Amino acid sequence: MALLSRVADRMYWAARYIERAEDSARVLRAYGDVLADLPITTSRWHPLVTISGSDVQLPAVSGSDENQVAQFLIAEREHPNSIVNTVDSSRENLRTCREVLPREAWQTVNDLSIYVRGAAVTSVERRRRDRFLARVVDESRRLDGVMISTMTRDEVFEMWRLGRYIERADMTTRVLGVRAATLLSVPAGTTDEFNEVQWMGVLRSLSALQMYQRSTRGPIDGPSVVRFLLFDHRFPRSVAGCLAEMRTSILRLPEYSTVLGAVEAADRQLRRSRPAADDGAALDAAMEGVQVALARLDRVMHEQYVVH
Amino acid sequence: MDELLDADGSPRPIARDLIELLHRIGLDDVRERQRVSDLEILTMGISFTVYSDGENIDRAWPFDIIPRLIGGDEWSVVERGLAQRLRALNRFIDDVYNDQQIIADGVFPAALLEDSANFRPECRGVHPKFGVWAHISGSDLVRAGDGQLYVLEDNLRVPSGVSYVLENRGVAKRAFPELFQRHRIRPVDAYTDELNKLLVSLAPADRSTPTIVVLTPGIFNSAYFEHSFLAQRMGAELVEGQDLVVGDDECVYMKTIQGLERVDVIYRRIDDLFIDPEAFLPDSMLGVAGLMRAWKAGNVAIANAPGAGVADDKCVYAWVPDMIRYYLGEEPLIPNVPTFRCMYDDEREHVLANIGDLVLKPANESGGYGILIGNRATVDELEAAAAAVRADPRNWVAQPILDLSTAPTLVDEGIEPRHLDLRPFILTGEHSYVTAGGLTRVALTKGSLVVNSSQGGGSKDTWIVDRDESDGPANGHTEQAVQSQSQGDR
Repeated sequence: MALLSRVADRMYWAARYIERAEDSARVLRAYGDVLADLPITTSRWHPLVTISGSDVQLPAVSGSDENQVAQFLIAEREHPNSIVNTVDSSRENLRTCREVLPREAWQTVNDLSIYVRGAAVTSVERRRRDRFLARVVDESRRLDGVMISTMTRDEVFEMWRLGRYIERADMTTRVLGVRAATLLSVPAGTTDEFNEVQWMGVLRSLSALQMYQRSTRGPIDGPSVVRFLLFDHRFPRSVAGCLAEMRTSILRLPEYSTVLGAVEAADRQLRRSRPAADDGAALDAAMEGVQVALARLDRVMHEQYVVH
Repeated sequence: MDELLDADGSPRPIARDLIELLHRIGLDDVRERQRVSDLEILTMGISFTVYSDGENIDRAWPFDIIPRLIGGDEWSVVERGLAQRLRALNRFIDDVYNDQQIIADGVFPAALLEDSANFRPECRGVHPKFGVWAHISGSDLVRAGDGQLYVLEDNLRVPSGVSYVLENRGVAKRAFPELFQRHRIRPVDAYTDELNKLLVSLAPADRSTPTIVVLTPGIFNSAYFEHSFLAQRMGAELVEGQDLVVGDDECVYMKTIQGLERVDVIYRRIDDLFIDPEAFLPDSMLGVAGLMRAWKAGNVAIANAPGAGVADDKCVYAWVPDMIRYYLGEEPLIPNVPTFRCMYDDEREHVLANIGDLVLKPANESGGYGILIGNRATVDELEAAAAAVRADPRNWVAQPILDLSTAPTLVDEGIEPRHLDLRPFILTGEHSYVTAGGLTRVALTKGSLVVNSSQGGGSKDTWIVDRDESDGPANGHTEQAVQSQSQGDR
């Protein structure tokens, strides 16, 4: 059965938005957790705003106030990437392709959207925040579970996967570009007793701590964390892993050659960033390079499958 | 009269178990079941869109859990009556766009056709498959004080509501599982399958596995939920005008990720004036340029056919019983509400003399616009209406003010009688199919007759209940139970 271009586009964006909501929730959750372990003076909330990729400025906020940043990332309607907005955008996209969705998938996103709209404002406060963020992550995974267990592996499904993985790859590069780069930039010779805690926070914000430890079986070490999150293609949130999943999906779509070319280009860009794994400034720039390649992949897919 | 209670307030035989159950569980439990149902409707995203304060808002569908019951024997007559009515209406539409025999024979006045806002000259000479134009229709039925069901109007263009019939049933099954076990309630779930079969049957003859699409005006339309629901249940594509294009070969194509793919049958949910900017309103953004050419060339089927609305204006309505006699040689099985046609001198004089006791309706308005209810109008309004009738008699019909039946309904005050109507859906192709029941709409405000969901109306599940000879739960249930169970899983 042929897939309408418009429906393909909406599935892809629904997946991107729900992944964005899930990833922001996870990053925010892990960050709050790390900061609880750090001395007050080192608490800096602003990196989260940078990770969320917003051009919107916090109104008259330095970015140091926890509640203001949390409100911005969770409940701010003016911020397109806030959790309320991304969940709603995902729902609105899925609402216009219900005819190709399993019924339970629609119910899951609808349910989540009702919950988020009702609870967002009151969940900014630290005491309630974790529960809220955990639910966003859980429901997003439940949505994937419904898709994986009930959908035919047709083009609709592949569009969903593509949206999920491109967004996930993008988020991993953002977390690395902002947080890992900062951590790596600590001047040589100075020992930061909280360094390890912070790297654990980076791993947790990508649900990667346990798998990293299983794969390295040693103490946490910055450059190896970066290499794990970029290149270990067996780990489903690593950039290489996401690109591999995208390649699988693209091979199941019609007339994929230019799209596949864009994935390979992103992969080459990724491999070029290998030397940057122990240099903060170089890592930030390398991650930007990968983000540009991902943006180009997005554009090529749009040209191939949506606008013709 | 009340659908479930007789004149002295005791339950009618058909409703005895339901009323007993309501008494036994008590008001608090009824409210609790209502609350659970409301929550279910919200989370399942069963919604309709209303336009208010310049914004389109997706609202939860209003549903009253107390069902409305109709006996199977009575319903069997209604089913046949509706199928009969739609056969005649379709013969009429096919006739007026071709030979106009009914006018030549003096049964239908030529003048009415000339005045009709819904007659589309662009459709002259077209003969859709099976001679059917209005494939999917919804006729509104009301029960008057005499206990008789009447047809109040026919909707032959883009009638909506059927998705809620199916969704209401799903919710009702969970609200009153004990009653579904005890009664033989006719299942409603087969509708989408019947619709699918009908649409497949309309495809151009040379297309073996036809591609079917549902054409929607888009997410802001009040019935978008339904468009999406029907596409989903039929496995059809839900398309907007921008997804379709008519090729140089006068075939219709949809834009897919692999390029263009041929479309064979369009179930359109856009008013026909908007479907093709080339043929009708040139600035319509909703339609597809060239669609009429493709349809006339026989390369695509459109349901309902453009022009089908010619038979559902309020004047034409008055001639439906005559059409049934003229085309089918049968007597109508369900009566029209008695209708006075102001174009005839004697009927107009009767209307003018009794204007305070009548409902006055303009022919070419829909959605209740321009309707005057005599006993609720001021003297000035009545005088203005009488003048309008004299000035343009052909545009007016009048009907007696009906005392619509009621059914017990859960409202803030408790369980109280509220007025209701019923919209069954009729599929017409090579064969006919009528939904078991239909959409019961209920006016939630005391004394009100306004049942529209956009104006505070609610809905009820409609149960067509077949009598059980032995009245025992074990007997005669098997087939019905198995059938409804298997359909409930889809």
